[in-house]
Amino acid sequence: MGWRIGLFLWISATMIVAFLKAPLVATLEETTRVLYFHIPSAWLTVVALGWSMLHSVLYLWKRDLRHDDQAAAAAELGLLFCLAATVSGALWAKAMWGAYWNWDPRETSIFFLLLLYTAYLALRGSIEGDEKRARLSAIYSVLAFVAVPFLIFVVPRMYATLHPDPIINDRGKVDMDPLIRWCFTAMLLGFTGLFFWLQSLRVRVSRLERRAQLARG
Amino acid sequence: MKGNWVVLGVSLLVWGLLFFWFLRVERRIKELEKR
Repeated sequence: MGWRIGLFLWISATMIVAFLKAPLVATLEETTRVLYFHIPSAWLTVVALGWSMLHSVLYLWKRDLRHDDQAAAAAELGLLFCLAATVSGALWAKAMWGAYWNWDPRETSIFFLLLLYTAYLALRGSIEGDEKRARLSAIYSVLAFVAVPFLIFVVPRMYATLHPDPIINDRGKVDMDPLIRWCFTAMLLGFTGLFFWLQSLRVRVSRLERRAQLARG
Repeated sequence: MKGNWVVLGVSLLVWGLLFFWFLRVERRIKELEKR
């Protein structure tokens, strides 16, 4: 229980500092605060999908369904965080660019990412039999993750975009006020802790579902 | 500044509700695991 309360206080304290103390970025004005939610969500998308790919590889190697549970749970959470990044980004775009959706390279690439992992979940839902589902989903997950670095890091840098500079910009520097950087790093850590908690909950639910399925015969 | 307090309040409320919901889900999972 202790670390969970710690996580709650950590994220709450970061929110308070971010809203009341951290300065605003001149070009972003009030929308600066979206940064503390949008970027950790995007970061967790990559972490979760990477975790899913890692456990897919482990499943293909060891054929242990516990790895399949991990891979499926991480893909679901990755999709959820990707959706959170998309919605927060669209709200930010409405405030800064005047429209929720502009088919900017970053918006287009995150749209493809959503499609890619929605298809993963659709694939899982359409296959009967634990072993077969786990094997085909693992192959799909490994192949799908090949596209993730391209969609998130490469494609948006290949075309002209209105999206603000990423945190580590083309000059290889982090141009950020120290307090903004502190809030941002604290939120990244908090979100990462939240991801691993939710991941463990989802995996435990999967195991309970399998146990119930076995009990039913 | 007042707007900041409102948005902060709503954000903390949503985060608090989500957090306690996650705790309840975890407690329920523990109960089912013990059966």
